[in-house]
Amino acid sequence: MNNEHESKEIIKNIFFEVFPNLDKNDFSWEKEQKDYENWDSFAQLNLITFAEAKFNISLTLEESIEIKSANDLLKIVEQYLA
Amino acid sequence: MNLIDFLRKNVENHGDKVAIIDNHKEITFFQLYGEVEKFSNNIEILNQEKIISLVSENSISFIIAYLGIINSGKIVHLISPEISEMNLFNQLKSSESKNIICNQLMKNKISNFDSIKTTIFEIEEILLKHNNKKVKSNANELAYLIYTSGTTSEPKGVTVSHSMIEFTTKNIVKMLGYSSSDIDLLPLPLNHSFGLGCIHTSLYVGSTLVLLKNASNLEEILESLKKYKITTLAVIPATLTKILNFKNKKIKKYFSQIRLIITNSTAIPKKTVIQYKEILKKGNLATYYGLTEASRSTFMIFDKNNQREESVGKCSPNVKIEIVNEEKNNLKIGDILIKGDNVIKKYWNNIEADKNIFDGWLKTGDTGYFDKEGYLFLKGRSDEIINVGGEKVMPIEIEQSVKNISGVEDAVAFGIVHEVFGQTIKLNVIKSKNSDIDKSQILSHCIKNLEKFKIPSKIDFVEKIPKTDYGKVKRFMLK
Repeated sequence: MNNEHESKEIIKNIFFEVFPNLDKNDFSWEKEQKDYENWDSFAQLNLITFAEAKFNISLTLEESIEIKSANDLLKIVEQYLA
Repeated sequence: MNLIDFLRKNVENHGDKVAIIDNHKEITFFQLYGEVEKFSNNIEILNQEKIISLVSENSISFIIAYLGIINSGKIVHLISPEISEMNLFNQLKSSESKNIICNQLMKNKISNFDSIKTTIFEIEEILLKHNNKKVKSNANELAYLIYTSGTTSEPKGVTVSHSMIEFTTKNIVKMLGYSSSDIDLLPLPLNHSFGLGCIHTSLYVGSTLVLLKNASNLEEILESLKKYKITTLAVIPATLTKILNFKNKKIKKYFSQIRLIITNSTAIPKKTVIQYKEILKKGNLATYYGLTEASRSTFMIFDKNNQREESVGKCSPNVKIEIVNEEKNNLKIGDILIKGDNVIKKYWNNIEADKNIFDGWLKTGDTGYFDKEGYLFLKGRSDEIINVGGEKVMPIEIEQSVKNISGVEDAVAFGIVHEVFGQTIKLNVIKSKNSDIDKSQILSHCIKNLEKFKIPSKIDFVEKIPKTDYGKVKRFMLK
């Protein structure tokens, strides 16, 4: 079971993998989808796929659509891990 | 020239030479010709029939029966020994074959099929008959009929003529340099265009053919290379990849005298090609692109100076290939069409399938493109395209990329239904022995190497990927 710190690190790394041009200094938990240059529907799908693989969980369509920031993804993951 | 002419030429040139070795048995060209003549005479009872079904495991008897039926002027309907009762029933109905010739093992198997009422003859029984009456054969334009394996659709009957065989065999010899001094190891099933092409080639040049029952015993293949001083080996890509699990030193030792490994166009992992380039000190790995309907339409020799490990090569002599796409540009991905004397004129009793042949051009159902130097690259079947939210994805591109990951033995990509995108990509992966690779490592590789709409949305580790005898994925069985 991951603790919160580990979960955060994993999610941060997912964002850096899915957005390879994202600068380390530009990462923010609150930064929203509209502020990312290339967070389109495919990137959304990839974020979810990575999270499902890393945490061994399966998100519903409704949960997937709700994710608009790194923080949103973290909250959903934590719900599954709780 | 037909196959019997090939055989006669060898009888005249070197009748005492060993033509085929099968385990502890061997037969010279002279003896083979005698047995073929005898077989033809002894199936006189079937003289009214224009087509005869043949099913047997790899053996000298199979080749005698195959050539014997052709020598009697009939068409051989070739059946896989693995065939199911329903498939056999459908093939017999479609082919209108009234007789099956087979080995004892298959006779026992087919006799238990309640729906099969066809008369069954055993090869060995036919050969034991004594009939001195010479049967006058009326040469048939067609040599054999094969029902394609149907990886994505219903099987279709493909009839191959003697002139197609002659054309293709001469191209094989020209492009791959076969000669009478070769000793060819053949562990492929003989009811398929790949294996048959190898028999035809050996008969044409007068080389010695060493038969194995199948390719499941890798040790047997390696030992045979040494025992028979093999110079050419014909295997599917999966066998080549599996052999790489042996120690490199051992492989190099066994392959030291090989001048040619020929494989078929089922996608070969790039890393496998690169490794065999290193292993084969005195020879080359080669592949070809072809269908039963258009055998050996391209050839590719993976020599050290050519870095196109994912190409199936250039067009065979006197074979034309066109890429049909909206841009009318051969350098862009499109449908592959083939024209040449290796292409069938029509399917067997199948008007619907005949629509894929027009003005001599065969619409293959495959997609691909040429590079500027005329090398063909396959991109998959047009009916395998995955549509991810309007983006078209060829499974082969994902599969080739993932197969290059260390720890992945095999992978297959296919479309699954998705509520938002219509389809997304699922990937089934077989791990290599002792591999501890996980899903996120595969995803990390994909995201670094593929566009974002090509990233699988689901990955499963599986024990097996359903494939035909020749390594083509049975996509309709994927889930």
